[in-house]
Amino acid sequence: MTDDAEQVVPLRHYGRWISGAIILFLLWLLVLAFARGQIDWPVVGEFFMAPVLLKGLGNTILVTCLSILIGLILGVIFAIMRLSSNPVTNMVASLYIWLFRGTPVYLQLLIWFNLALVFPEINLGFWHARMVDVMTPFLAALLGLGINEGAYMTEIVRGGIISVDRGQLDAASAIGMTRLMAMRRIVLPQAMRVIIPPVGNEFIGLLKTSSMASAIAYTELLHRAQLIYFVNAKVMELLMVAAGWYLIVVTILTIIQTYIERYFSRGQSHETEPSLLSRLWVNLIRRRRAAGGAAAQQGGYR
Amino acid sequence: MSETPTPMLRAVNVHKSFGRHEVLRGISLEVLPGEVMCLLGPSGSGKSTFLRCVNHLETTDRGRIYVDDELIGGRLHNGKIYELKDKAICKSRVKMGMVFQHFNLFPHMTVLGNLIEGPVHVKREPKEVAVDRARTLLARVGLTDKEDNYPRQLSGGQQQRVAIARALAMEPKLMLFDEPTSALDPELVGEVLSVMKDLAQSGMTMLVVTHEIGFARGVAHKVGLMDGGVIVESGSPADVLDNSSNERTRSFLSKVPS
Repeated sequence: MTDDAEQVVPLRHYGRWISGAIILFLLWLLVLAFARGQIDWPVVGEFFMAPVLLKGLGNTILVTCLSILIGLILGVIFAIMRLSSNPVTNMVASLYIWLFRGTPVYLQLLIWFNLALVFPEINLGFWHARMVDVMTPFLAALLGLGINEGAYMTEIVRGGIISVDRGQLDAASAIGMTRLMAMRRIVLPQAMRVIIPPVGNEFIGLLKTSSMASAIAYTELLHRAQLIYFVNAKVMELLMVAAGWYLIVVTILTIIQTYIERYFSRGQSHETEPSLLSRLWVNLIRRRRAAGGAAAQQGGYR
Repeated sequence: MSETPTPMLRAVNVHKSFGRHEVLRGISLEVLPGEVMCLLGPSGSGKSTFLRCVNHLETTDRGRIYVDDELIGGRLHNGKIYELKDKAICKSRVKMGMVFQHFNLFPHMTVLGNLIEGPVHVKREPKEVAVDRARTLLARVGLTDKEDNYPRQLSGGQQQRVAIARALAMEPKLMLFDEPTSALDPELVGEVLSVMKDLAQSGMTMLVVTHEIGFARGVAHKVGLMDGGVIVESGSPADVLDNSSNERTRSFLSKVPS
């Protein structure tokens, strides 16, 4: 029988190689243009690890992480409210989404920061303080970004919950779970698979949106960079430093996201797509190694 | 008649509508402890809806359902039934195990995880106890070596056997089966039916909605034939399946393979 079993040679994609080469060439031109342009690259290198900027980066990451956390918590709470059969909680959730999704984040940040104009003092009976002391740029940024994010998260979480088969809720009820427990133990963990990719998106989006907090004098990365170039006039150089740091953080976030996705898709038949890099690794290097390519494992990540 | 034990399941004149469509139009039946009753009938006749009413996955509009002498889903007061809260309903559901047409195993948990979920988190049993019982049950349904697998890695027949074990893990007094073999490939039906047969022989009280006439004839003590939201005929398998004089029963049986 082995005589008839001819080996199949995979289709060669010559077009891909040609277009790849063209794009690499164009990219090289672009890099060349910037390298020869009027940018003082040594200054970029000099400021890249500057403690002032690193502190700004730290603040950016801090406010982003905390805001996402606030957003997720609010998102889960309001999504469950939104899906509840109780018309009151349902309407409260809808109102929340309408209000915070319907106005620009920038405007919300300004409102939080200037809240002292409306409520000069906070008085809770046992504790009172002046609003200007309480509403620091950090707190205003956190509230503005976090609560706004919650409105978007609500819709993401709701979509995730809806995507889980209704039979799961039936099965959970049938073994005696209350609605809330079924949500927590059965529905939400499955919804996570659908929720994670857009949350990763939101995370990356928020990391960049957090730069708007520079408007309320929160000293995040971009704000720090601006403060420096106001003084030394190296505008493009410092913007390049900021861009570099944003890209680095986003890259790290993307890698983390891949692992989280993999965790939540356990028990599912289709695994997460391997990344472009790991596909290249498999295709180029391993195939070469398996000399003769008899058992070239297409996407051999299993 | 005084010899008759209290029924494990007693339904009295149960009515249920979805909007204007009346799905159940007065269902009454009794299943005694240790008895197996099969509900047959064409699709849309209300069999599955009734089964879901028994453990209150669907609410009822009128009528009473007692399981083990407890009124399900409500409290009788002044000639009316007042709906109970979620928590109270959950408590009475623990007495019943349910097996679904599409298995509804929890896909993010292993087989063992599925089996101990209820005992550990609902009944708050110690994990070791739950795991021990789960393993015994897996042996009983012939899946000892699958405890670390995820549901997706099992065949339909294996998944349904896990689902039966999951329901049994809560140590129910009554088992409800909602077309347990309808979603299975033909060659996998037998393994599920044989697990159900063993269960019946061990003395479990069972209410089974099914299209398997052979199972009803061989295992059931009682057969009810539903059509249009009512039970048109009920009795012993021999009476209903082989010697029925009822027009609707005969017409239904002539259309299904037995």
